[in-house]
Amino acid sequence: MGVASYARDIKDTLTSVFEGMSITFSHLVRRPMTIQYPDKIPKPIQETLPRRYRGILEVDLDICTGCLACERDCPITCITIGIEMDKETKQRKFTHFDIDVCKCMYCGLCSEACPTGSIRHSQEFEGASYDPAGLVRHFVTQPAPLYKPKKGGETDPKLATKVDIGLKYLDEFATPDGGAAAEEG
Amino acid sequence: MNETAPVETGFYTEDMTISVGPQHPSTHGVLRFVVRTDGEVINEAIPDVGYLHRSIEKIGEKVTWHGYVPYTDRADYLAAMFANQGFCMAAEKLGNVEVTRRGEFCRVIACELNRIASHLISVGTFGQDIGAMTPFVHALRERETINNLMEEICGARLTYNYIRIGGVGYDILPETCTRITEFLDHFEPLVDEYNRLLSYNKIFIERLAGVAVVSREEALSYNLVGPNLRGSGIKWDIRRDIPYSVYPELEFEVPIGGAQVGKLGDSYDRYWVRIRELHESCKILRQCLKMLPKGPAIAKVARKFKPPAGECYARVEAPRGDMGFYVVADGSEYPYRVRIRTGSFTAMSIIDKLSKGIMVADLIALIGSLDVDAPEIDR
Amino acid sequence: MQAYIDQLIQQGYFAGTPKEVVYAIAMVLAAFIVLSAFVAPLAGVTSWLERRVWARMQSRIGPNRVGPQGILQWLADGIKNLLKEDLIPSAADKALFSLAPYVVFMGFLCTFVAIPFGSQLIVADLNIGILYILAVTSLVVVGILMAGWSSNNKWSLLGGMRSAAQIVSYEIPAGVSILTIVFLAGTLSMQGIIKAQGAAPWDWFLFNNPFTFAAFFLYFTAALAEGNRTPFDIPEAESELVAGYVTEYSGMRFLFFFFAEWGNLYVIGSVATTLFLGGWQVPAWSIFDNNPVLLGVAQFVVFFLKAYLWVFVAMWVRATLPRVRVDQLMALCWKYMVPLSFFCLLGTLCWMLAFPKGNQIFSVAMFVLGLIILAYFCKRVVFQIRQARPELYFKPHI
Repeated sequence: MGVASYARDIKDTLTSVFEGMSITFSHLVRRPMTIQYPDKIPKPIQETLPRRYRGILEVDLDICTGCLACERDCPITCITIGIEMDKETKQRKFTHFDIDVCKCMYCGLCSEACPTGSIRHSQEFEGASYDPAGLVRHFVTQPAPLYKPKKGGETDPKLATKVDIGLKYLDEFATPDGGAAAEEG
Repeated sequence: MNETAPVETGFYTEDMTISVGPQHPSTHGVLRFVVRTDGEVINEAIPDVGYLHRSIEKIGEKVTWHGYVPYTDRADYLAAMFANQGFCMAAEKLGNVEVTRRGEFCRVIACELNRIASHLISVGTFGQDIGAMTPFVHALRERETINNLMEEICGARLTYNYIRIGGVGYDILPETCTRITEFLDHFEPLVDEYNRLLSYNKIFIERLAGVAVVSREEALSYNLVGPNLRGSGIKWDIRRDIPYSVYPELEFEVPIGGAQVGKLGDSYDRYWVRIRELHESCKILRQCLKMLPKGPAIAKVARKFKPPAGECYARVEAPRGDMGFYVVADGSEYPYRVRIRTGSFTAMSIIDKLSKGIMVADLIALIGSLDVDAPEIDR
Repeated sequence: MQAYIDQLIQQGYFAGTPKEVVYAIAMVLAAFIVLSAFVAPLAGVTSWLERRVWARMQSRIGPNRVGPQGILQWLADGIKNLLKEDLIPSAADKALFSLAPYVVFMGFLCTFVAIPFGSQLIVADLNIGILYILAVTSLVVVGILMAGWSSNNKWSLLGGMRSAAQIVSYEIPAGVSILTIVFLAGTLSMQGIIKAQGAAPWDWFLFNNPFTFAAFFLYFTAALAEGNRTPFDIPEAESELVAGYVTEYSGMRFLFFFFAEWGNLYVIGSVATTLFLGGWQVPAWSIFDNNPVLLGVAQFVVFFLKAYLWVFVAMWVRATLPRVRVDQLMALCWKYMVPLSFFCLLGTLCWMLAFPKGNQIFSVAMFVLGLIILAYFCKRVVFQIRQARPELYFKPHI
């Protein structure tokens, strides 16, 4: 090892250490990036998540047609739907609509398959529970009728808002015939 | 500095067998190496894989074609887009589906963002293994912005299920494009800062120069891919050599190792290739955002996708190398066989060869520089 | 302190007990007060400060929940560790395993009796002060070797062996740098070395001549190596050897090792301040003339701030630099630091021959050079901030 390379080693070490220390010191005087969740934030995180965020699934049973497309499309069979014929009214009703949240992998295939947008991903992500039974969401509290979509739009105003929300959710997905975003972008 | 001559002492010495992992802060996932050392110098390091095996390939035989795409996310969760794309390319070839032009561009945007995120983790954890804790956190901070962007585009931060058969699942809105451009403007000077903090640091260079040198012939014969191969001086990139998607229309360079410090093919070369790929990905992203055409983002694909019987091999350039999907269809709505070939699995084979005669600290540097990733190895 | 005790005896306290017993009791009491009221909270607060400093350097906030700004975090950590199960591996050597943390602890605690907090605030002004400190800190090696061996764990053994080699080797550059100052001051006593310096920066030994300037950095680096701090924290290299020699420890025993490490930072800072930075010297202002208490407090504050600055620099270095490999560590010591420290020693001796009374002009020039380096550093910091384009900083969704 010659004197030149010895001196160069020392110089390189000193300059690179100096440079590194100036960078870390500059970070010391900059604002930190931490978001102090959950208590020291201006508004709840759920309100700041993007529209397309795939949180825990929720079902609006009032506009569910019972087509079972979501149950078929789910790759991990976390959705279980039961439909029975009610003997008196001769109408089909839901008996159970269960989603096992701990099996769900939040892929979004069920919400894409839904024709009315009744099964959606919400902005909710805090789903912890103290026992495994609490992780299965039951959406049918009492036997509910299936929804029949009316031709020419929905007339009942309450259901109309729900249908609108559902269809707006479905608008986010890309479709083979373009969609609104393609016009602007 | 790496050769240690055996010292004749006349004492009776015995080799020590240590188990590095599976619970170890630096093995990039659940990996185990059975290491036989003589004090500090390693005689043998045999990898023991399989701790993270989740039967992803077997699951492919049980779910539908569309339903398998979320599972490919988990094959390498740090580079999920590429696995999505590989499988979708194979399915499209089998089913004769043509991806829309906008869909192709959206795919490239998403993939290059994911490449930046994966390389950030790679260089960050590499610095952490060598001992520098700050660059790791800085790299993760930048990756947070990419996670936020992906959240805006497709709703998930890590396992995207974004690239679907025929295109992409969600369209990229103009606001997101603006945010991506802002991110790129903010990110490129930070790569330089990262270099000044870590890459040019004399201690870091001394740790890596000349360590675990992989020659050209060895790299080819052990079937290394990706930055590991390019670090040894071989210019091979699937995006250039077996082009797919819209990469032929994009201008970018393929960085290769050039013996920056020490020998060609050492750990520093592989690391430096990844840093330069960060810049190249930024270049590709800017071009894509300018060239993004109008139109549908996904082609018309049947809900019950049933490609005719046949087999297909699709390759994509994932951050950890060439990820290959060998898919066999038998005409039904489930694949007959899905086989995923990943770069990390083959990189494990060279670790034993390279670890003869190096020290335990160098083994950690070697594993980090090869950027092996446990989910990719075990699938 | 002896004079004060003599005063008390003359005033009639402690009648009936022989003088030596009074001295002994007073010493033990003073040591106890220093240790419990100063060292223990200091090491604890140093651990909190270290985490906050690292966090801010990594663009995040450190612990800030327990107590105002998180300052009681160390209490929470201490209580948590006390409540943990005390595991001793069944195949471990029980006696050595239990004893090792205490040996390490002793190695750093015993130094505090010789650290001068002020001109009258020192437990024992030994006339071999600095030699005593150097000797006692070497006890740490014994403790680490005991820990590494008795754990019956190959990782711990590797860590212990590395540490022994490291600490013993780095004693030499540290010792020779200290020797440089001892020659300049003419005495081994800590108070004597401080009294040989002045309050103004150009009177400090740091700026006395270029060789002591270099010797300071050599001493600081060697001391970091002795204290197992990054870039030399190989014995506890957490990403390589899981946790090195402390792998098998849990609970309070584990905390003792780190307690010793944080406290040792302060010892390093104090020795650096004493030798190179003028210690507790304050300018001779008139308000101190008839007010020994105020003078004592001012000296204590000055000494503390100077020593703590070096604790901060040690934390800062740890956040910045990667680790060196063990053979590079040895090469660094024997090939670079030992020859350089001997060169600095010879240089200082020649300087003393050339300028027996010191060279005031050169000292001031060295001080100005130091200020220029500091100004250049600030310029680089501003450059880093501008390069990162703060106007484009990541804005979270909130």
